[in-house]
Amino acid sequence: MENPYKSIGKNIRKKGALERLVGAPVFSADIELENPLVLKVLRSGRTHAEILSINTEKAIAIPGVVRVFTCDDIHGKNLMGIINRDQPLLATGKVRSTSDPVALVAAETEQAAQAALKAIAVTYEDLPAVFDPQEAMKAEAPRIHEDGNILLTRTVQRGNPDHAFKDCHRVIEKTYQTSMIEHNYLEPDAGTGFVDEDGTLVIYASTQNPHYDHKEVVSLLGVENNAVRIIQAATGGGFGSKLDLNLQGFIGLALYHLKRPVRCVYSREEAYLATAKRHPLTITMKTGVDDQGKLKAMQATIICDTGAYGSYGIAVASRAAVHATGPYQIDNVDIQSHCVYTNKPFCGAMRGFGTPQIAFAHESQMDLHAKDLGLDPLEIRMCNAFNVGSVTATGQTLSASVGIVDCLEALKPYYEKAKKSWLQSGSEPHKCKGIGVGAMWYGIGNTGTKNPSNARVEMDEYGRVTLFTGCADIGQGSSTVLSQIAAETLGIQPDNLRLVAGDTGLTPNAGATSASRQTYISGNAVKDAAEKLAHALKTEAAQRLGVAVSTLVLDSGIVRAPASPDRQVSFADLARQIIARGESLVFQGHFDPLTTPLDPETGQGVPYTTYAFACQLALTTADALTGEVTVEKIVAAHDVGKAIHPQNVIGQICGGVAMGLGFALMEKFEPGNTLSMKDYHIPTCADMPEVVPIIVESEEPSGPFGAKGVGEPALIPTAPAILNGLANALGKRIYALPADLESVLETSIASGHFGPESTSSS
Amino acid sequence: MDVKFNTKLRQTIFRLMDAEKHFIRFTLNGAPCELETPADFTALELLRDLLKLRGTKEGCGIGECGACTIQVDGNAVNSCLMLACQLEGREVWTVEGFGDAEDLHPIQEAFLDNHAVQCGFCTPGLLMSTKALLEETPHPDRETIVKAISGNLCRCTGYQQILSAVEDAAGRDPKGDD
Repeated sequence: MENPYKSIGKNIRKKGALERLVGAPVFSADIELENPLVLKVLRSGRTHAEILSINTEKAIAIPGVVRVFTCDDIHGKNLMGIINRDQPLLATGKVRSTSDPVALVAAETEQAAQAALKAIAVTYEDLPAVFDPQEAMKAEAPRIHEDGNILLTRTVQRGNPDHAFKDCHRVIEKTYQTSMIEHNYLEPDAGTGFVDEDGTLVIYASTQNPHYDHKEVVSLLGVENNAVRIIQAATGGGFGSKLDLNLQGFIGLALYHLKRPVRCVYSREEAYLATAKRHPLTITMKTGVDDQGKLKAMQATIICDTGAYGSYGIAVASRAAVHATGPYQIDNVDIQSHCVYTNKPFCGAMRGFGTPQIAFAHESQMDLHAKDLGLDPLEIRMCNAFNVGSVTATGQTLSASVGIVDCLEALKPYYEKAKKSWLQSGSEPHKCKGIGVGAMWYGIGNTGTKNPSNARVEMDEYGRVTLFTGCADIGQGSSTVLSQIAAETLGIQPDNLRLVAGDTGLTPNAGATSASRQTYISGNAVKDAAEKLAHALKTEAAQRLGVAVSTLVLDSGIVRAPASPDRQVSFADLARQIIARGESLVFQGHFDPLTTPLDPETGQGVPYTTYAFACQLALTTADALTGEVTVEKIVAAHDVGKAIHPQNVIGQICGGVAMGLGFALMEKFEPGNTLSMKDYHIPTCADMPEVVPIIVESEEPSGPFGAKGVGEPALIPTAPAILNGLANALGKRIYALPADLESVLETSIASGHFGPESTSSS
Repeated sequence: MDVKFNTKLRQTIFRLMDAEKHFIRFTLNGAPCELETPADFTALELLRDLLKLRGTKEGCGIGECGACTIQVDGNAVNSCLMLACQLEGREVWTVEGFGDAEDLHPIQEAFLDNHAVQCGFCTPGLLMSTKALLEETPHPDRETIVKAISGNLCRCTGYQQILSAVEDAAGRDPKGDD
């Protein structure tokens, strides 16, 4: 099919790639300010304790130490959190995890700052701590926050599951466990700041949400909105963890008091200790099917361990509940999802917000039912998959862009071929091969809450266009995609468009780079602003050329009437004329997806306007004697609505698969034991299979040029596909992630690969 | 809490060396470089903190991630694990020694064309590993490429587009000796 667009669907050069390729100093830690103070954070090292006293006298006496801050120096509200505010910037009265910040040192040198950390004397009285979320839910458990340890229970109820289960042909119930995961973006958190000539506190930060940072720093300091400006420096990956206020608050506090340039750069060890993790989930899931394999009922209990603070925990628990059915229609559901505090380091957003965890459960259930009924894994998914008109567990009728069946169809030839040839090949009996399938759905944007984006497009008197967006490009390519959307709308080349992004002093609020929302939501806001400019240019041109507005098109910086080739006028001519009259060519764009809040009792509502769908196929080999797993190939079919930049989409898919492979087979963050990158292994290129990305375009009518999103969906089906492949290879299923060497070997022994005498009865 | 991994190493170095500062001479990106460095500085600290060359990144400080990869006498090394003093007399290349934005090196061009840059934090290290590989093995097979860059971690791309970029770079004519 011919691409009707000039920019959309084209692999234009990625914005920002050039400066990174030449090693330009664009990241926070690269920025050179004059004589900056070094900031270092003292962390508690206690899991749960009352602070009896903090003595900073000896620390302040160290030469080169300028100031030691405690909670008493915070003049605004000493509480942070994007959904629920429960996390102090500096501890007040007690600490709830080993990473809780207790004091902040500002010093002339790194050495002086380090010495000061050791010289601060904090007296604690330890409190009983709780690390198991199920223990923490009990009435007698140590109370971590005043309102109790259960932060939220999200219920999604529909139909009559009790009744429906009775009528089911088969019912299967299993419990699944996922591990705590470290984001492990390559750039450890960093920021720097100075006070500008107007007295504004300017903070450069590695962040996914500069406007949230702004709001939070203003609140912490108790200053006016215009007193703080956040500029997003180049951000070396985020994956959710740079949505929290990791060090912007410390920089703001020091700038506020000291009025001197400061610099705060986390070592990898501190980034591991101090920033959010992926929530470990314990999921008990019961599903029932009829004799054809059609899902009739689901009951699930989900426990999300959010550690010491909420961060995005509420969103994770909610999203896990809403997505628990997978991309399948189930008319009778009862899902309870609890977000629970423990004294572990806090968990927050990570690529997928609970959906990768819940997909491990629902996709395992699908394969269990398929095996039980002798059905093919693709067939059972096909017969249950959503279609246009399907109703979700929250009672939402899906009206368009439901590409899950297309994704399953796209995998089918690869699946059949793998069954016929790959599965039959090879002769080593201890190399067990298995093909696995994993599917997913993912709601674009925040769950049942407003999450608008704003954009601004300006044209100067020379006809040059500048796009202003608060959207933080953290590597995923939003700056490129938003430029393409604006350029397409205005009939210009993306290279001819200036972009200003992620600066609260200059750009409108585009919301967080999270929830796979920027292409869809900010893309629409950008398109809205660009359309307003296009309309103004056409209106002016129509008068000048004496033709109707509707007959005009924008093409390469010119407004023309295709029917009368001699009638045309350049953007520059029009802009000069309009601006000379004293009018401006500045247009605001806005978009907020249509959602309704979920009913607090039943979870019914419209949490998202649109959903992405995907299905992946994994060819997995397990060495029955060593437990070593090799993923030989992943075929990944993703319904993205419309691929604005196909190479970008492929980049997201391949990167998501890598993160999913880590989640499946190797990654496990153990607080207290996982201290540095020697203790935590993410996939290297040697671990990666060939990835075959397949872009499915089931266009979304409300999306910009039909686009939805892909960032998080890319990761979600991978672990389920690999684990289903492993189950087929070993003849026995693994219910806890990661399926590491020990776990696979144990399963191999239990499934009889070491001979009948070692066969387990379980 | 935030004690650097090499505190003990540093103390040992101070004991072994009679001066806290050391004068070194080496070739940096094709030009002679002479300076006094603290004896306990790593090559990474020398580049980033003394010479203000910020293209080389610190991702872990313990030789696990490869973001700090530079080329020393032709070999790709983790600059966080090498002492600045060990650069004495050697030929050192960093990302700043590649072409600039108007005059890209074929390896940079290949990375750009193959969409091998996402967040870009691992990119300088990968460029250096690729340069070292292609100078030694101008036409490597996939397995050799994987081996050469498996010490450079990337959390964004899943490596596929990077591997394609390295293969592509191997097929391009290098300009001159750099």
